[in-house]
Amino acid sequence: MEINFVLNGSEVTAAVEAHQRLIDVLRRPLGHTGTKEGCGEGECGACTVIIDGRAINSCLYPAPEVEGKKVTTIEGLQTIDNKLSIIQQAFVDQGGIQCGFCTPGMIMSTKALLDDNPDPTEEEIRAALVGNLCRCTGYVQIIDAVKSAAGKLKEKQ
Amino acid sequence: MYKKFPGARYIAGGTDVMVKIKNRQLNPPALISLRSIPELSRIEIGETTRIGAMTTVSDLISHPELGSIFPLLVQAAKRLGSPQIRNAGTVGGNLCNCSPCADIALALLVLDARAVLKGSEGSREVPLEEFFIGPGESCLTSSEILTEFLLDKPSPFARTSFMKKGRVKMDLAIASVAALLEMDGNLCKKARLAAGSVAPRPLRLKKVEEMLENAAISKEMINEAQKIAMESVSPITDIRSTESYRRQIVGVYVKRTVQEILEPYQKLLRGVQGGGILEKSPPGRRRQ
Repeated sequence: MEINFVLNGSEVTAAVEAHQRLIDVLRRPLGHTGTKEGCGEGECGACTVIIDGRAINSCLYPAPEVEGKKVTTIEGLQTIDNKLSIIQQAFVDQGGIQCGFCTPGMIMSTKALLDDNPDPTEEEIRAALVGNLCRCTGYVQIIDAVKSAAGKLKEKQ
Repeated sequence: MYKKFPGARYIAGGTDVMVKIKNRQLNPPALISLRSIPELSRIEIGETTRIGAMTTVSDLISHPELGSIFPLLVQAAKRLGSPQIRNAGTVGGNLCNCSPCADIALALLVLDARAVLKGSEGSREVPLEEFFIGPGESCLTSSEILTEFLLDKPSPFARTSFMKKGRVKMDLAIASVAALLEMDGNLCKKARLAAGSVAPRPLRLKKVEEMLENAAISKEMINEAQKIAMESVSPITDIRSTESYRRQIVGVYVKRTVQEILEPYQKLLRGVQGGGILEKSPPGRRRQ
């Protein structure tokens, strides 16, 4: 079947099988390989994308169900002149990246959090990222990056 | 739809079904998605509150009124999985998956929820307790779907508590307990307790309930409740925990949930009985 949805602001059409997962459609036919697959069962959060404003695991989401919805992946964050977004830059500046595999998911969960709650407490940050695992275990810097991004986003406003 | 695709599998949020398909535990000839049926995700507050089965766990938590009427339900929902799972997973899906560890099931069990099942033959209402049969098995027939839950307005004297032990915060429960006590002075009018991950299905602890109901709860009775709870469960050893640890935790959580509910009455009871019924919690970090 053919599905139409908005991917990072532009309308796309893709041919999908009924049982296909969103992550497979994003990565293969659509070539958006920024979204990673870790565990494939909703534990690690590496595949996190934002659908209609909410973070979800794209490895558990049936592709046909994004019909008509707005999907944002890590590729949708960079600015028009190809610069890193504030959240991405904060992860770089604070050393919130080690091997980098969990980073796209971490950043998408951070974006979903900050869009909803621009001034989170550390507890709220930890609660929002509980579904994202970092096997290099650099969580302290990741939390710092989220705090720094929240501060910078507020300054910008 | 089901008649057109015999053997099809209904899919709600997909957070369990998609994993099973990927691991080849399920291989349905067709999937029938329930996600885009607005009638199934409505919440209506009233004398009887109706919660659509396709309400996502996140919507349940963020509902403006639900939390003040049924704090237990929202408390349990908050302990379910990660934000990503709660954004996709649904209340009905948590139940229809029929896992013994379902967090929301425990809350709905102690709130005496009824499930509405609809099929081609018509609809029926079953108490939630009769809904679960065993692991992965409910009383739904192949042509039926769970459409909503009905909850009666709780008594103003009812207080609740929910405790869950997970390996890490977002993990499935090693063991969990939900409790509701309706108190009239120091007399317990109604008791409902349910335990997760310690039997083939989410379990009502009926023997504990019987003992506490219509009694003035004493310290000895709470200790007895702990013992009875440990005897009435049948946990297994698996990747997450062992049989004996789960039994231990259920006992401790029965004790702690009852203590937590009774805390505001402690002062009152001390006046009546000349001695508190609650033990101070041991020093050190208490992790749930």
